[in-house]
Amino acid sequence: MTISETSKIGIAILSLNGTLDALSAPEFRNNRSVIDPEKTVVVDLQQVDFIDSSGIGAIVSASRQKRQPTGGIVLSCMNDRVRKVFEITNAQKLFHIFDDTIAAVDFAATRQKSAGA
Amino acid sequence: MKTILAFREEEYAWVHETFPCVHPLLLPLCNKPFIEFLIDFAILAGSSGVRILCDGGLDALEQYCEDGSRWGIDLSYASIHPDDSIHTMLGKNRKFCGEERVMIVSGFNFIRYDKRLDYKNLATSRPTGEWAACPGGRITLTGVPAKTALDWTLAELSLMPLDSMASFYRASMEALETGATRYVLPGYGDEPGCAFGRNVVISKSVEIRKPVSIGNNVQLLANTIIGPSAIIGSNVIIDRQSSVESSIVFDNTYIGEHLKVDGRIASGNRLNDPKSGASIAMEDPHLLSGIKKKWDIRSLPRKIVHAVAALGLIAVFFIPFIILWPLLKLGGHWKSTRADFLSERTDATLPLGKVEVDSSSAQAAIAIALSLDRYLWLFRVLTGQLALIGSSPLLAEKTRPDLLLGALTYRPGVFSYAEAEDWPATGGDATIVERFHLAHSNPLSDISLVIKAFINRLQEKSAI
Repeated sequence: MTISETSKIGIAILSLNGTLDALSAPEFRNNRSVIDPEKTVVVDLQQVDFIDSSGIGAIVSASRQKRQPTGGIVLSCMNDRVRKVFEITNAQKLFHIFDDTIAAVDFAATRQKSAGA
Repeated sequence: MKTILAFREEEYAWVHETFPCVHPLLLPLCNKPFIEFLIDFAILAGSSGVRILCDGGLDALEQYCEDGSRWGIDLSYASIHPDDSIHTMLGKNRKFCGEERVMIVSGFNFIRYDKRLDYKNLATSRPTGEWAACPGGRITLTGVPAKTALDWTLAELSLMPLDSMASFYRASMEALETGATRYVLPGYGDEPGCAFGRNVVISKSVEIRKPVSIGNNVQLLANTIIGPSAIIGSNVIIDRQSSVESSIVFDNTYIGEHLKVDGRIASGNRLNDPKSGASIAMEDPHLLSGIKKKWDIRSLPRKIVHAVAALGLIAVFFIPFIILWPLLKLGGHWKSTRADFLSERTDATLPLGKVEVDSSSAQAAIAIALSLDRYLWLFRVLTGQLALIGSSPLLAEKTRPDLLLGALTYRPGVFSYAEAEDWPATGGDATIVERFHLAHSNPLSDISLVIKAFINRLQEKSAI
């Protein structure tokens, strides 16, 4: 799996490409923006072709590390395959999920601003 | 024009309790799933795309509706949070909405519309804001309206909240009585007020009193009286000399001989009174019962593999168990308590002995490391009561995990999938792991997960 990281208005955008499983999950878990409890991260899942329980685990653990548990990690562009895995495990309730990365960034920035105020 | 249909689990929680065999969004109103009324309305309003948002599971709904091609629209699905406002919902679905006008139908409500009226022009020309509302939800329009002067009163809408069995009954009867003039309803019939599905077997002596709606694969046996105002679902048998009047019979239900069902909702072996909300379960299957589906043979290979593996574990750990168990028992380090646990079957509990081993002695530490506290549970795998690996058994007083229709959410096992994974930190996270594997594992991957669970327990106990 490859992770490309960009930033917009202070929000880190991680675009994942490939398979998020037991092998690649540590790479995501150890990402600098993911580890930082203060940093809000938007995870773009459009190019994720497979996710397993370890992959979900990595995303859930990352959100647990954040200061704002429901707003620290925002998910975007989930394809149907990934969405179904989130739904079947009921993990979708733990996240805000957007179909557009820019909308997710706007939301995250608003949340971050209101949390900081 | 795009339409968003937004639902929250709490709005239809009563359906889960009253009619657990059906996904609330597929609840049949006059033999037509609830969601289809909303899709029909979205199409009448000129929508080319419909997105269904929900904070609960949509798997069963998705299996039924698929991508919407049967209605000629693009149907998609997404998740929301229970506290999301309309503004947040629009933000979360920005790509879907684009620059088009959006109609948001929120809440678990029955929309009273008339298929003969022109909602398309109305939806595009009405000013932004609320179109119709009721205590349980609303229809809202966003985006710039087209500049057409229309008389909006010509096609006013009203909403009926489906918040109880009584309102569901009212809405069903209303749909039946207004019939195919207002809504697109399933079935064929020569005259208004009578709709029949496919493969309906009607004995010569059966009396049909309009209005009625009868589903597919129904048998009406001799001297039965159906109607007036009877809605009979699919795969239903009404036995001899019974009558069904002002009542709803759900799919897969058997109504016994010489019975009079009047003003009731029959679902499986449950008879519900829509007025009082009272519900009774019939114990006698000759009176009222569910028509069960055949046993699912797909679970057989898993049961066989689990049983063979359990047999192997029983043989391997027999000698350590037979040596350590009496020693620990006599030393007071082995404490066993019996409790009732939730079984995989929804109508049964499973009595199990739960062992607690005091790990202060070396023998106890070995017993725990070898998972001998679960040894006796392995015999339950041979009888099919437990899986070798599955969900952590839940005490019977706990509520059963939410049933995601079409998906298994609970299968108690000797070892749990969460024990095989490293990441779960809390009970809630363990459920995520268990649900993932219940949906995705196969008998062979189960064996490798058992080994992982066993090693994890071994390491965990060694660390202690």
